[in-house]
Amino acid sequence: MQYITNYFASLAHDFETVFIAKDRYLQIVQGLLNTVKITAGALIIGVVIGVLVAAVRSSYDKNKETLKMRGGFGYIALSILNGICKVYLTVIRGTPVVVQLMIAYFVIFVSVKDGVPIGIFAFGINSGAYVAEIFRGGIMAIDNGQFEAGRSLGFNYIQTMWYIVIPQMFKAVLPTLCNEFIALLKETSVAGYVGVMDLTKAGNSIAGVTYNYFLPLLTVAAIYLVVVMVLTALVARLERRLRRSDH
Amino acid sequence: MTTDNNILISVQNLQKSFGDIEVLKGINTNIKKGEVVVIIGPSGSGKSTFLRTLNLLEMPTGGEIYFEGINITAPDTNINLHRQKMGMVFQQFNLFPHMTILKNMTIAPMKLLGKTKVQAEEYAYELLKKVGLEDRANAYPSQLSGGQKQRVAIVRALAMNPDVMLFDEPTSALDPEMVGEVLSVMKELAASGMTMAVVTHEMGFAREVADRVLFIDEGVIMEEGTPKEVFENPKSPRLQDFLSKVL
Repeated sequence: MQYITNYFASLAHDFETVFIAKDRYLQIVQGLLNTVKITAGALIIGVVIGVLVAAVRSSYDKNKETLKMRGGFGYIALSILNGICKVYLTVIRGTPVVVQLMIAYFVIFVSVKDGVPIGIFAFGINSGAYVAEIFRGGIMAIDNGQFEAGRSLGFNYIQTMWYIVIPQMFKAVLPTLCNEFIALLKETSVAGYVGVMDLTKAGNSIAGVTYNYFLPLLTVAAIYLVVVMVLTALVARLERRLRRSDH
Repeated sequence: MTTDNNILISVQNLQKSFGDIEVLKGINTNIKKGEVVVIIGPSGSGKSTFLRTLNLLEMPTGGEIYFEGINITAPDTNINLHRQKMGMVFQQFNLFPHMTILKNMTIAPMKLLGKTKVQAEEYAYELLKKVGLEDRANAYPSQLSGGQKQRVAIVRALAMNPDVMLFDEPTSALDPEMVGEVLSVMKELAASGMTMAVVTHEMGFAREVADRVLFIDEGVIMEEGTPKEVFENPKSPRLQDFLSKVL
């Protein structure tokens, strides 16, 4: 009994030291804010890049025969764009995100001292490659008959994609996309490498000052977990709404 | 006594190859306004490919197709405008699963013909009434039987007010007891004066409804004529052989 009382007393003391003293909890708040900023910004950039790259890649795969036959500028332009996208996918998916982040910070944007926008940029470029392949896979998985039905009604290629293929594709890839967002959120924990005070860095730096690793790191882990659980719940709700047409 | 004004689709020396495989080896025919042309032939003969080249779902590799006097195979033709006037019905229905029946039927007239929602829905209900499905307007395709889906697919194409309807084996994916309901819709359509090109294995339909039957084999029109000529007095051994197997 005495042991348990002592334990809680010492835990309360540690809590005081780790979070309350010198308002250290503010570092955690600031860290969470930066983590969310980087994740949200990177997500937007990633989806935009993903849509564009997937559009180029799947347009090329779907239309190359016809365009080749018709010849001319369209085919050459699309081939070049497709080539650029392929190089982008290979390089980004073939190198670690920490290395990409450090290259962005120490090589490309040497003069920028704030790591947050650079983090958004680097993680966005990185995420875009994965999102692009998720979207492309989704587009390719939609039955070609859907595409043909759209075209036969008189819709052009882009209208067919927009009204018919993409809504179905989005529903199909939503779980995979959610996975990618969760991975992105957790990957941002390496932002500390370029001096960003993100959630992980905040916990680590408190631990360094107070010589207490237990509380700060477990708190950080718990915060990541809660954020991921909230995100998952939101996506599950969206999925249920989109599933109305399946009976 | 055929004047040029009566010809809706003119096919001249149409060729189509997939790689080294020559599927269509020079097809010549004219489809007149109001004519019902039924295309028969063994599987792999090129009859579906022929139908699909008529609205350029398959790009021909040679020859020309004139639709309402315009060469739609010319590279500078905007095929999307012409496809609005060529309705197409597929073997696999290809309804849009993420939209209600009503939405399936109104999206193209609204986006392409500039109809208002009210106009488009009014016309859609009128068409659905004709095929006995007005009470299913707010259902999703997955809630319909095969025969119902195909009837919806037919009226979806009709909602664009096409000048010709192309049918690509419309009853081949249906359970036998549902073939009749789809064929009777097609018969009514033929009786209303719609120009139709139908690829089918339903010889009874061909005999009863067709103005002209084309027998395609080995990539050419091997024989053509009225149903009476084709079915009762086949000249080529290939047609005799084919009919002995299907009748």
